[in-house]
Amino acid sequence: MMPVEPVVQKLTSEISIRNLNFYYGKAIALKNINLEIYKGKVTAFIGPSGCGKSTLLRTINRMYDLYPGQHADGELIVAGKNILEKGVDTIELRAKVGMVFQKPTPFPMSIYENIAFGVRMHEKLTRNEMDDRIEWALTKAALWNEVKDKLNKPGTGLSGGQQQRLCIARGVAVKPQVLLLDEPTSALDPISTMRIEELIHELKREFTIAIVTHNMQQAARVSDYTAYMYLGELVEFGKTDELFIKPQDKRTEDYITGRMG
Amino acid sequence: MDLRTRRKTTNVIALGLSLAAMAFGLFWLIWILWMVFEQGIGALSLDLLTLDTPAPGNAGGLRNAIFGSLVMVGLAMLIATPVAILAGIYLAEYGRRTVLGQVTRFVNDILLSAPSIVIGLFIYAIYVAQVGKFSGMSGALALALLVIPVVVRTTEDMLILVPNALREAAFALGAPKWKVILMVTLRSAKTGVITGILLALARISGETAPLLFTALSNQFWSADLSEPMANLPVTIFKFAMSPFADWQELAWAGVFIITMGVLFLNILARVVFRQQSANH
Amino acid sequence: MNETLHVSSQFDEDLARLRTHVLQMGGVVETQISAAIEAYSSGEVASVKTIVETDRRINQLERSIDEDCAHIIAQRQPAASDLRLVLGISKIVTDLERTGDEAKKIAKSVRRIYEAGHQPTQYGIGIRHLAEAVLALVRRSLDAFARQDAAQAIEVIRADQDVDLEFKSIIRQLITHMMEDPRTITTSLEIMAISRAIERIGDHAKNICEQVIYVVEGRDIRHDKEAIK
Repeated sequence: MMPVEPVVQKLTSEISIRNLNFYYGKAIALKNINLEIYKGKVTAFIGPSGCGKSTLLRTINRMYDLYPGQHADGELIVAGKNILEKGVDTIELRAKVGMVFQKPTPFPMSIYENIAFGVRMHEKLTRNEMDDRIEWALTKAALWNEVKDKLNKPGTGLSGGQQQRLCIARGVAVKPQVLLLDEPTSALDPISTMRIEELIHELKREFTIAIVTHNMQQAARVSDYTAYMYLGELVEFGKTDELFIKPQDKRTEDYITGRMG
Repeated sequence: MDLRTRRKTTNVIALGLSLAAMAFGLFWLIWILWMVFEQGIGALSLDLLTLDTPAPGNAGGLRNAIFGSLVMVGLAMLIATPVAILAGIYLAEYGRRTVLGQVTRFVNDILLSAPSIVIGLFIYAIYVAQVGKFSGMSGALALALLVIPVVVRTTEDMLILVPNALREAAFALGAPKWKVILMVTLRSAKTGVITGILLALARISGETAPLLFTALSNQFWSADLSEPMANLPVTIFKFAMSPFADWQELAWAGVFIITMGVLFLNILARVVFRQQSANH
Repeated sequence: MNETLHVSSQFDEDLARLRTHVLQMGGVVETQISAAIEAYSSGEVASVKTIVETDRRINQLERSIDEDCAHIIAQRQPAASDLRLVLGISKIVTDLERTGDEAKKIAKSVRRIYEAGHQPTQYGIGIRHLAEAVLALVRRSLDAFARQDAAQAIEVIRADQDVDLEFKSIIRQLITHMMEDPRTITTSLEIMAISRAIERIGDHAKNICEQVIYVVEGRDIRHDKEAIK
């Protein structure tokens, strides 16, 4: 694996992953992952199905806690703390690290309440402050103009693309430092996909973004850094341009050029 | 015969058989409904709602029986629904793979298929026999025991149907588990759970057996839960078996009321459930 | 070169066809250069017509290969070595087409010299030698492309520096000729144009080799003198 060369801009690490292993029961799913996710950058994770890219993403906000038998060791440092340790407050962690899923998942409540839901977990806001926060989040998610007149309508009534932007707004509203996007456009049509990609460009000014995608062109379009994973290992990590034009590893080359491994 | 004609013939025969089976079922159903309607509609009058059950030969109605049924069914629902929903939540959200969960689910399934007379007898043994008299309260308890397994089952099933992604999304926002269940999962399953409750309500509305040993019946007006309480099913049972024509007519009126009530609940349950499907 | 097959065999075929077309075009261009040199030495002015006509075919080939490149980019969104190959080819065909143009220019100058009743070979200043050397460079650059051989590409780039030196010495000789005998000026100017065209062909061969290095190694060594040392 090629070490990342220092570039002209100063890069600070938002998340440091060191010697991370992940297990589903006894089966190992991630092997000795070492990786930096840089602040204010978009990092894409690509690789064939089952390579562990989603698992890695779900380790960062400890989503795996929900499932007994799944565990991780090594170091995963967010804001100076190893969040894999016992006794970490996952609620606090998830306020810092938001996540958007493959399928849009609006809650069975109004658009307004969908966004207020997460904010209320972490902050006590007055009605006015909450109104402002919701407008802010919906504006960030490029959805405000479409829904400002129907904030009290159910979120499930929106189109698929709008629902996904609602989910992004919901994540953004908590003001996390990091947004994890797990194949956020795989259930969307091309235009909605482009909207979300455009949104990612906007959002990276304020948030660090990690995105898992099956679509290599999407990774090439939206990300600054790309990690190629295969069979639970990190094969190559580097600047997206370099990885897509001149990959260092034959396995990366074969994958991104669509060759049989 | 070539393959295609054979296939066609088989198809026609299968279709014919299923149509005949359906006609057979519908025939009885329509006959029952027609009979209830024909006999019941003649017996309907305002007296039904204003007068209590009479002695043979006197004018009377079903006021005390209707009231008793409403009270006991209502009370049974009040007791059973919270318990059953909480149990359903436990099974779906906490105890999916635990031993306690498995055992609970198994016991609940047994309870679900237990004959209602067994439940009546059970309450008789542990309550009526101890206190020494029949009572409205024991009737309500017996009905509650019938409601619980139905609602536990539907609640669990409906919660399991909620996609895991929705739970994960709520957890990912930093919500604690109880909030996820209360605000997201249960809400998503809301209409399904309500449907289950309505179906359970419909089921106990017509139950006679568990009330025979518990609430018994009462010829007179009584709102005292510690006393035997009049109710529609047992009154119908008693009046229909009697040799008196006016009692038999009242029985038909009672049957009509119950049938319409249950029909209404079933339709309501369907409408509610369809709304859920439309939302998703 | 990545020899593993693509999941899409159609893609493999598209790329293979693209490479073959480039080599075909290269072959035609080589023939043009040889024909022009031959005309220069022998005075067979009749072949000039053929050279001019063949140049149209080269232009067509350039257009059609460029179209194929655009088609592959639009349809396959190639990445990594595939992307570099398509980008490289798109530039290589430009150089090949210009090489063809230079061959045509040489042929036309040759015709003008002979039609004026002069013998360019009488000037005896090594044009033929320079032309043969450049033709070899073109051959070797195409060979480096066909075999995706970066080492050979570097050799060609180095060799082109010698061609440039030789060209400068020819120009000096021609200037001397013209000062000594002003009657030779017209022909000398034509010969100067010919040698300049030959020198340009060498530059195009060098450009092709730079693209070969980019395709093979992903390294852009244009305008980078350190890279070829």
